[in-house]
Amino acid sequence: MAKWGMVIDLDKCTGCQACTTACAMENNTLPGESWQDVLFYHEGEYPTAQMKWLPRPCMQCESPSCVYVCPTRATYKDDEAGGIVFVDWNKCIGCKYCMIACPYGVRFYADEQPLVEPDIRDVYPGENGQMWSPPYQNPEQDWRRGIGIQPKGVVSKCTFCHHRVSKAPEGVADLDEDDPELVEYVPACVRTCAPKARYFGDLDNPESNVNRLIGDKHGVRLLDHTGNRPQVYYLGAGAGVPAFRPRNSRRGD
Amino acid sequence: MSDNNVMKGTAGTGLLLLSAIVLVVSFGFVMYNLTVYGHASFNVSSSLPWGQPISTYLYFALASSGLGLIAALPLVFGFKQYYGIAKRSIFLAFIILISGMAVLALELGHPFRMLWAIPLNMQIQSAMFWMGVFYAADLLFLLWKFQKMESGEWDSKATRTIGIASFLGVLLASGTLALIFGMMSMRPFWFDGSLPIYFYLTAITSGMAALVFFSYLAYGFDRSRMPERMQSAFTGGLPKLFAAVLGLTVLFVGVRAITGLYSNHPEVYHVWADYLFASPVYVLSVLFGLIVPFLLMLVPKLRVQSQIQVLVAILAFGGLFAERYFFVVGGQVVPLFKGTWAWDMIQYSPSAAEWGLTIMGSAMFFTLYVLGEKYFNLSAVPEQLAATETPGAPEKATA
Repeated sequence: MAKWGMVIDLDKCTGCQACTTACAMENNTLPGESWQDVLFYHEGEYPTAQMKWLPRPCMQCESPSCVYVCPTRATYKDDEAGGIVFVDWNKCIGCKYCMIACPYGVRFYADEQPLVEPDIRDVYPGENGQMWSPPYQNPEQDWRRGIGIQPKGVVSKCTFCHHRVSKAPEGVADLDEDDPELVEYVPACVRTCAPKARYFGDLDNPESNVNRLIGDKHGVRLLDHTGNRPQVYYLGAGAGVPAFRPRNSRRGD
Repeated sequence: MSDNNVMKGTAGTGLLLLSAIVLVVSFGFVMYNLTVYGHASFNVSSSLPWGQPISTYLYFALASSGLGLIAALPLVFGFKQYYGIAKRSIFLAFIILISGMAVLALELGHPFRMLWAIPLNMQIQSAMFWMGVFYAADLLFLLWKFQKMESGEWDSKATRTIGIASFLGVLLASGTLALIFGMMSMRPFWFDGSLPIYFYLTAITSGMAALVFFSYLAYGFDRSRMPERMQSAFTGGLPKLFAAVLGLTVLFVGVRAITGLYSNHPEVYHVWADYLFASPVYVLSVLFGLIVPFLLMLVPKLRVQSQIQVLVAILAFGGLFAERYFFVVGGQVVPLFKGTWAWDMIQYSPSAAEWGLTIMGSAMFFTLYVLGEKYFNLSAVPEQLAATETPGAPEKATA
């Protein structure tokens, strides 16, 4: 079985948020429930001030701290599905401990106050156990893997578009959106990326393009000191997020 | 002796009615909000998922553990001069844990699912799993021990064994609860292997506050109406122990604050400098909820006065409730992995529904407390002890 990995080239990413939009459309996420997002931040001050951005999906960690803390095994890493970390919505009790334990902040508890008004959940009230039921929605539903529109009271997250990836031919090294044979199996964020800053492939296959890119272009994993060992790698200058600084800190920095 | 217990009379009935009404109204209010608005009626978010309901649970669960540890003085370690407070401590520990669990259940997304999903999936790597195991065991041991006391079996081999098991259960439960926070290396404000020690200390402090307040409440805040063995406990070693644990709590908070303020780590420093010490509520809670009570209990003449003891208990209730709140929220106010994208710390203050849950838990505790005072003799001591010993003298001598 493949071990799916994503490579994101920051030198090519334009921060256009098409990936965020494609993810939201594909997975019917709510405003603010950004399984995939692009973080924008600044670093330094004049004359060295920089404007930066960083696309951030779930890292699908090799040692996922969210999995270890879950008291019901609702969150689990499925090696048979390429090492993707899923949430079983039939087992999740909504304790939110996984959200505390994820260093990347990529988990969501959508049963919360709406980010924007009107609340789209009121516009399209939930049916058949769904938190909300828009008329347009992805027909793929698999609550054991947290795919589809979630019920109330559970945690949701990026699934590396397992509903697409899982249908790829066995043994394929890379899922390249430019390959007409494979385009339907590529995760939504990768497929939509206009500058082709994202690559998706098998980290266990020595011949895969993702491995070649990580090796040749010095791929790094973010927050590596946490020991979570993401399956998402970043290429290019400035891979990292600067430390948080409140605007009116007593320290004055 | 039990005739002096005002909770058995009309005052108790009045308090019972009032508590029950508050319980029903607050429960109705919370259920209405949860049914109509779901957890959107809480002010927590995906960025700050644990709010006041969790800190309320923490406050109740640790007060219960503290009461269990205090009860271990006579029941496990043989300090017989404290037999007079043992049964009430065990009862209070039981009902405050029940109340805390009720609050936690309404905070969860799927409380009933928890009942089968945790035992059937056996995720032994999760601290939360072990917290569930140990607090469930703690609850059972407390009930069992209370039943033994109720049947007059205080000193049998079985009772002593249950007492020791319960003591270990309390240590494991509150220690594991601490590690739920303390093992989170991605949350540096909490990440601390010695957190169980801090939890034990503050648990005893809040347990002691509960014991003092509710013992006095049972006797109309008039110590002379208490049984002699209880009076001797409250004029003897207990106030000193109260002073000691308050002092150690202040010390622990101080050491954590100094470490945090000295640190360059932004996820620790900013929490202390720009959230905790920037909050007048936090500063006042430390000052009047911990430091002033400690100073009052330091003075030998003051700490034996019943009014001072009740005042300190009330101040410590507030101080430790705030301490739990700021501990839980403080660990999350720095946005995770957002860098300078986040302009400021996450703003959180509890919603009406979250306050409703805290009030519901408190009202549930008061209701069960009055029922317990009415239907049990919580000041009971072993028969042979009551008959053969002259209580009080040694403790009074050391006061």
